[in-house]
Amino acid sequence: MNFTAAHIGFVLASYGISFACILGLAAYVIARDRKLRAEAQRLDAARRREQT
Amino acid sequence: MTRKAGSGYESAMQYLANPARFLRIANAALPYVWSIALVLLAVGLYGALVTAPPDYQQGETVRIMYVHVPAAWMALFIYTVMALASAVAIIFRHPLADVAAKAAAPIGAVFCFLALVTGSLWGKPMWGTWWEWDARLTSMFVLFLLYIGYMAIWQAIDEPHRAAMIARIVALVGFVNVPIVKFSVDWWNSLHQPASVFRTDGPTIAPSMLWPLLVMGLAYSFLFLALHLTAMRAEIAARKIRQIHIAETGAR
Repeated sequence: MNFTAAHIGFVLASYGISFACILGLAAYVIARDRKLRAEAQRLDAARRREQT
Repeated sequence: MTRKAGSGYESAMQYLANPARFLRIANAALPYVWSIALVLLAVGLYGALVTAPPDYQQGETVRIMYVHVPAAWMALFIYTVMALASAVAIIFRHPLADVAAKAAAPIGAVFCFLALVTGSLWGKPMWGTWWEWDARLTSMFVLFLLYIGYMAIWQAIDEPHRAAMIARIVALVGFVNVPIVKFSVDWWNSLHQPASVFRTDGPTIAPSMLWPLLVMGLAYSFLFLALHLTAMRAEIAARKIRQIHIAETGAR
C-alpha cells in the first residue's frame, strides 16, 4: 500500500473506525458475558446454600 | 417416510432446544471459532493491504472495499438470522430462538453502522459527497433504524414475553427491507455500483482483489459467530438471573 497516495486518509480512517468498533463490540460482549455468568453462578450457589 | 423425516427434524430441534446442551456446545466451540476468526482476519488484512493491487481508476481508495463490503454483507446476513430466529420462535416456540435473535441485534447494528460509515468515507473521494439519499444508501439506513428499533423494544418493555412478541413481529416485518437493500441498485438508478461478487454471471472483480474480499467476508462471518455465541451465552445467564430473582421475590 502506498501511504503517500491521494485520499489515503479516507482509507486509514475506514480501517481505524472498523477495528475500533469491532474491538469495542468484542470487549462489550465478552465483558457482559463474564459479568452475567459470574452473577448467575453466585446467585445459584447462594440459592443452593439456602436450600441445604 | 415423511413421518420419519419429520420426527428426525423435531428431535433435532428438541436436541438444540436445551440451553444446558447449547452452553456445552458453545463453550467447546468458542476457542476454535475465535482462533479461526483471528487467523482469517490476519490473512484477509494481509491480502487487502499488501498483496491486492490498487485499482486503475480509484487507486488506493479501493482498499476501503475490504472493510466496507463484508460489513454490508454481515449487516444483511445478521438481520436474516434475526428474522429466521423470530420465525422459529413463533412457529416452534424454540426456547433459544428469541435468545439468538436478541443477541444478534447489537452485532448486526455495529456492522450496519460500519457499512454506512465506511461507505461514506469511500463516497466522499469517489462521488464527491459523504451522503446521497439514493435507494441503496437510504435502504441501508432504514436497516440500521430497524436494528435500533428492535433493540429499543427489548429495552423499553419490561415484560419479556410481550417484548419478545413485538420484537419478533418487527424482525419479520423488517425483513422486507433485506431484498430491497440487495436489489436496490438494480431496481433504481443509484450512485452506488451494482453487485460485482454475487451475480448470476459470476464475479466481475479480478481474482487478485476477489480473494482478499472473500477471506475478509469469511473472517467477519466467523467473528460474528464467535460474538453471537458469546452474546447468547450472556443472554442465557441474564435470563437465569431474572428467574432466580423472580423465585426469590415469590418465596418472600
